[in-house]
Amino acid sequence: MTLASVSSTPRATGIGRLTGLRVPPVVILSFLVVALAIGWSLAPGLFTHYDPVNGTPAQKLLGPSAAHWFGTDHLGRDLYARVVYGTASSVASALIAVVIGVVAGGIVGLLAGFFGGWVDTVFARLVDVLLAIPKFLLAVIVVTAIGFDTTNAAIATGVSAVALFARVMRSEVIKTRQATFVESSFLLGGSRWHILWRHVLPNASRSVLPLAVLQFGDSILVIASLAFLGYGDPPPASDWGLLISIGKDYLKWPWLVYAPALVTIATVLSVNRISRWLRETD
Amino acid sequence: MSKAYFDYAAKRLLQAIVVILLSYVFTFVVVSILPGDPITNVLNNPQNGFTPNEIKEIIAAQGLDKPIPVQLWSAFSGFVTGDLGLSMRTNRPVATLIAEVLPSTLVLASAGLAVALFLAAIIAYGTQFLPRRFGQGLLRGFPSLFLSVPNFVIGLVLIHLFGFQLGVFRVIEPDSFWATLFAAIALGIPISAQIAEVLIANLDHESGQDYAAVARGRGLGQMRLFVTHLLKPSSLPVITVVALTIGELLGGSLITETVFGRNGLGSLVQRSVSTQDLPVLQAVVSLAAVVFVVVNLIADLTYPLLDPRVKLLGGQERRPTTADDSSLPISKAVTR
Repeated sequence: MTLASVSSTPRATGIGRLTGLRVPPVVILSFLVVALAIGWSLAPGLFTHYDPVNGTPAQKLLGPSAAHWFGTDHLGRDLYARVVYGTASSVASALIAVVIGVVAGGIVGLLAGFFGGWVDTVFARLVDVLLAIPKFLLAVIVVTAIGFDTTNAAIATGVSAVALFARVMRSEVIKTRQATFVESSFLLGGSRWHILWRHVLPNASRSVLPLAVLQFGDSILVIASLAFLGYGDPPPASDWGLLISIGKDYLKWPWLVYAPALVTIATVLSVNRISRWLRETD
Repeated sequence: MSKAYFDYAAKRLLQAIVVILLSYVFTFVVVSILPGDPITNVLNNPQNGFTPNEIKEIIAAQGLDKPIPVQLWSAFSGFVTGDLGLSMRTNRPVATLIAEVLPSTLVLASAGLAVALFLAAIIAYGTQFLPRRFGQGLLRGFPSLFLSVPNFVIGLVLIHLFGFQLGVFRVIEPDSFWATLFAAIALGIPISAQIAEVLIANLDHESGQDYAAVARGRGLGQMRLFVTHLLKPSSLPVITVVALTIGELLGGSLITETVFGRNGLGSLVQRSVSTQDLPVLQAVVSLAAVVFVVVNLIADLTYPLLDPRVKLLGGQERRPTTADDSSLPISKAVTR
């Protein structure tokens, strides 16, 4: 009995953990949707043979059909091609935003939580200030200051997420700092930076991963909102938010709004589902 | 009222004032140190048609030729005494510009909050009564669906369905009752998701407690158990969550106003962004920060009075159940 229970808890290596997991079908579907989005952004030419910029004026405002899956827009451009080609900047910019949020927020939270004292007080006030300004308004202000394009919109979105990551990181670090293994590492003569790097960071970052995935979905939404208001790249770029914004002037041909909107929703929903699955399996 | 409560209240009040003042300085610094300055972008832009004399006048009136710390000091002392300065574009007092559009945004935001609370209550309390296998999963799925839909899409769908197809409201009259209601729905749906998530988590937590098991053992039906035991302890912590969504309510109305063509704070921000009217932007952001901080201060101060389980220890607040140090419902879900 003892032997059985010992051998039933193998060391969790990367592959061992993956094969041991029972992945629910919804999560597999979510991964497929995300994989498709990544495929669209890496090699859009593989998924459509239409040109996203130059259309055929004779074929304008056609409804969805076998030839044009999402219909065509007011200039006769294939909307599916526009969505596919717009994925790269919609998805990559969300990635930039998350990286900024995780790195900047992570460092702030790590230092505040680990050193405590006046460092913590200073950072805590900074985070309070960032939280007091509505996230979207903050993003709008930052993008106004640095200029309207999609990369800047991504930077602005990242800045507005710093406070969230700083908070979570700080509370995780404080939790970890009190653990016995950290105390013993201190007693064994480990330096502060060694403990910070070797023990606190890996443990604290566990709950940051699902949050980062969740933030990825949220960033897609915020960047789409900024693009919708016209703070991203101007046309003929085809960011999802921009496509919806153009479509709103043609509500008589509703697929111009619904098709890019459904793609956005499906992507964000999948990302959120993956985040929840990561949280549950942790 | 104990001494501990007064210590706590004093500490929170002081903290709130510090955060408001710092957020003003922060916004000012962000707007002025980042590349892009209004003189070259707006005043010298031939499209705006300012004459060289006008440009000189505006620069002098706004003090744009002075070093940034001096500008900050004069703007900051103005802010503390309630003077928000002049708009760069229209040369009218910023306070007047804001006062003109504020009522419209307040109506939209409060209606949006009402919609959010209503939806969240239906979703969360509904999970208590639907059978576990059938229906409950559907209700529990709503928050994550709502969180994945951009609110301008909800707005456009509502305009398309109810404005154009069914003709419930006319799009060219954005301030009519029905148009306002649909704008409030578009604004409220994403926010309801956050409230519902916390509410559901609290309900699950409370119904797993010993006292709930005892009550069930005494033969209480689900309805009685919910009303007499679960409702209050699971709903009270939501006060703090609602206070935290104020920021999103303001940020969301910015987009919703654009979609529905309402003239409110959001459209003022839009106009000021396109003309780089920094004094107006600065004022709107500071106002939003003030509203957020004050609402959260009120929530934090009334909460210990409403929930007797909260113990105040040496000016520190100890909250029950899930509302510990995580601030947003999302982070709450993660750190729990």
